[in-house]
Amino acid sequence: MMKKQFSVLIAVPALMLAFSVQAHSEKDHMKTAENPDCATLSAMDHSKMDMNDPVVMAMMQQCMSAMQDGSVESGDASSHGHDSDDASSHGHSEQMTGAGMAGDHMQTPSQ
Amino acid sequence: MTVLKKGACFKRLIAMAGVVVIGGVAFLYSGLYSMGADDPHFDVTTWALETLRENSIARASQDIDVPSDLNSAERLLKGGADYNAMCAGCHLKPGKSESDFTLGLYPSPPNLADISRTDEDAKEEDQRNFWIIKHGIKASGMPSWAPGHDDTRIWNMVAFLKRLPGLTENQYQILTARGSNGASTH
Repeated sequence: MMKKQFSVLIAVPALMLAFSVQAHSEKDHMKTAENPDCATLSAMDHSKMDMNDPVVMAMMQQCMSAMQDGSVESGDASSHGHDSDDASSHGHSEQMTGAGMAGDHMQTPSQ
Repeated sequence: MTVLKKGACFKRLIAMAGVVVIGGVAFLYSGLYSMGADDPHFDVTTWALETLRENSIARASQDIDVPSDLNSAERLLKGGADYNAMCAGCHLKPGKSESDFTLGLYPSPPNLADISRTDEDAKEEDQRNFWIIKHGIKASGMPSWAPGHDDTRIWNMVAFLKRLPGLTENQYQILTARGSNGASTH
């Protein structure tokens, strides 16, 4: 009897904690999620970009990922179709190791 | 003679302290104080509150260990998406100089997209940002994000804050977009 009451006392706060965590999960924010506008990245001057800069690496990573998923904004996905196939053949970390290669990926006909 | 004078002086001090306390309590119950966010503090009150806030946060955050990988692309992407969803409404983003929250909140939330940082105080700034995001600030509109957000997620936001002031509008859009599958990939 005592054991049952004890488990209820443990289970209720645990459930409440789990629900409160779920309330702010990243999936919650997906309702208002927008796709990365990778066309602007393609239009940037890549020769002036520092490919070791975490911001540039993050943008590349984001757009690679978006192209793989076909979720690039403003119809850009279709113009990146060839690159998307190409990118999917590489591992995620592998994409970021070759800075020049990543830059080449972004030099697409969509410009 | 001097003992008598000292005793009288002490009694007067006690009486004055009593009057101040009773006056203070009477003021609290009177409803005379304006609580409106559109009615700013006196300068001295602002100074006292800001001094209290800054010293309190500095003391509380001084022993926080800062992760060594704050400058990673992974953290930027994760922190950026969270910043856009949870912070940009009040703390703005590149290309935006005001919002309903910045105009209406008192004190007005700082524009984190337009804050200059120096490398000298980088560690203190990271510790301070982590503590504020995690614990919030009383009576300021800044909530504590600790419920529902673990330390890793908060550090991701700190990592993004480090780079936010230098971002263009386009860079910000790309870094903060979650995409259709953001939660699963990032």
